[in-house]
Amino acid sequence: MAMRAAHRSDALPYLGYGLGLRVEYYEALLAQPAGIEWLEIVSENYMVHGGLPLVWLDRFRERYPLVMHGVSMSIGSTDPLDDDYLARLAALAARVEPAWVSDHLCWTGVQGVNLHDLMPLPYTEEALDHVVARVKQVQDRLKRRILLENVSSYVSFADSQLSEWEFLAEVAERADCLILLDINNVHVSAMNHGFSALDYLRGIPVPRVQQFHLAGYEQGTQLIVDTHDAPVADAVWDLYAEAVRRFGRVSTMIERDDHFPPLSELMMELEHARALAEPLLRDAA
Amino acid sequence: MTSLQALQQQMLQAVLAENPPALSIIRDNGIADARSRLAVYQHGYRVRLRDALQAEFTGLRSMAGRRFGAMLDKYIAAHPSEHYNIRWYGAGLAAFLGYAHPWRDQPQFADMARLDWAISVAFDAADETHANVADLSTVPPDAWPALRLSLQQNLHVLDCRCNADAFRRAADHARPRPRLRHFEQARQILVWRKDTTVHYRRLDEDEWQVLGAAIRGESFAALCAGLAAHHGETAAMPRMAVMLQGWLAAGLIRGWTFIQT
Repeated sequence: MAMRAAHRSDALPYLGYGLGLRVEYYEALLAQPAGIEWLEIVSENYMVHGGLPLVWLDRFRERYPLVMHGVSMSIGSTDPLDDDYLARLAALAARVEPAWVSDHLCWTGVQGVNLHDLMPLPYTEEALDHVVARVKQVQDRLKRRILLENVSSYVSFADSQLSEWEFLAEVAERADCLILLDINNVHVSAMNHGFSALDYLRGIPVPRVQQFHLAGYEQGTQLIVDTHDAPVADAVWDLYAEAVRRFGRVSTMIERDDHFPPLSELMMELEHARALAEPLLRDAA
Repeated sequence: MTSLQALQQQMLQAVLAENPPALSIIRDNGIADARSRLAVYQHGYRVRLRDALQAEFTGLRSMAGRRFGAMLDKYIAAHPSEHYNIRWYGAGLAAFLGYAHPWRDQPQFADMARLDWAISVAFDAADETHANVADLSTVPPDAWPALRLSLQQNLHVLDCRCNADAFRRAADHARPRPRLRHFEQARQILVWRKDTTVHYRRLDEDEWQVLGAAIRGESFAALCAGLAAHHGETAAMPRMAVMLQGWLAAGLIRGWTFIQT
């Protein structure tokens, strides 16, 4: 197991094993079932003026450590960063006081049109300079380091000069941001583009990884589609074990966005993650 | 234009297009061709917008029945999403149904979409406090004529020429949809939120007359005069008392000020 770098003075906490907060689980999660140590909220769901969403948010804030995960920052877009979005995000962070704030290494729209999707970037020096400058701008605005998540992708671009993991690592190093490593997304993109998921893990700098996502996907006729609507696949559990060996103790959560099973099923998946990771961590200690 | 801008614009146009040209910027390999790869994004874009609209426009879904899917598809084709939050994508649907063929000749659909959207907007509008009967009883009798009610800012009054509220109520309670009824004259539906619950109901003609005057900022004396013209002096005051109590109980009144004379 590679060693994690000594903690920086601004190191973020280790939170344990958590879940993505979704409306379908509000009531069940209020009871604080054992084994769920933290929750990740989708930032945009609470970037509202008032009403029920914020009432629920305050209830969960009293009960769990929270982190904020956004889908609309569009850090890679060539449109200017959205001031209104960043102002609302900063206001929400002030209200929630999350352990950290994350979004995706992607673009979601351009020319004022939003695709509401996590569009991949070409992995070029030009895109690298562009993204790094914008991450710095966001971090200055939020007065905190952010985490960027690797996305599942279905296209790659002829212009790309770097691998996805080289690009992600360079962004993190040059912008001094952190990484939310979605293990499922690594697997999905590896299968769709024909690269080695293990090469991907080996290319990511250990000290930059602050959080893991685990989720399920759908097998299409040619491509794997990242639907987040199924249990974590066996291949992704295997890759998770490799990730734990490489990155050590990293806050881990199950992310489910559709076809919601009873909470007990997600808790079993979370327990599986714990049972898989903890012996590896003990062996490495 | 930088090459990154050019790439993003090409991808955007390709995702929005029904039949995009082959894109040489996309790398092909033995796993899937460029067209199949692009198709994942094209499909995903339309599904996400459809899902967002279906969640917001439950009354319209009930009223339109099998036509609902075609409505959404036409709207999605005509209106690329411009807000970062997909929750706001439906803001233009009522206007679209008001001018687009064939729905512009069936105004009940635009009315229904307006009601659905007003309910959606009220759901997470800014929180407001509301006054109660005890608060208002502190107003001295001689100050009442100059009193100006401050109503909730999240309150909406919609003109409606059909029983859209009945369709929405049926959808909210998973009941069979009602028969469509058209009205000669537009009637008003009030939408507001008290605490965390959104409410809607049809206004009686005299109540709309008084509430409309209150929204315009007219004095309590003017509200009473308007009601007296409707009901006569004797009946006006008891009716006003009933309305005022109802508004207070419903949380429609935020507070009041006094008009300086």
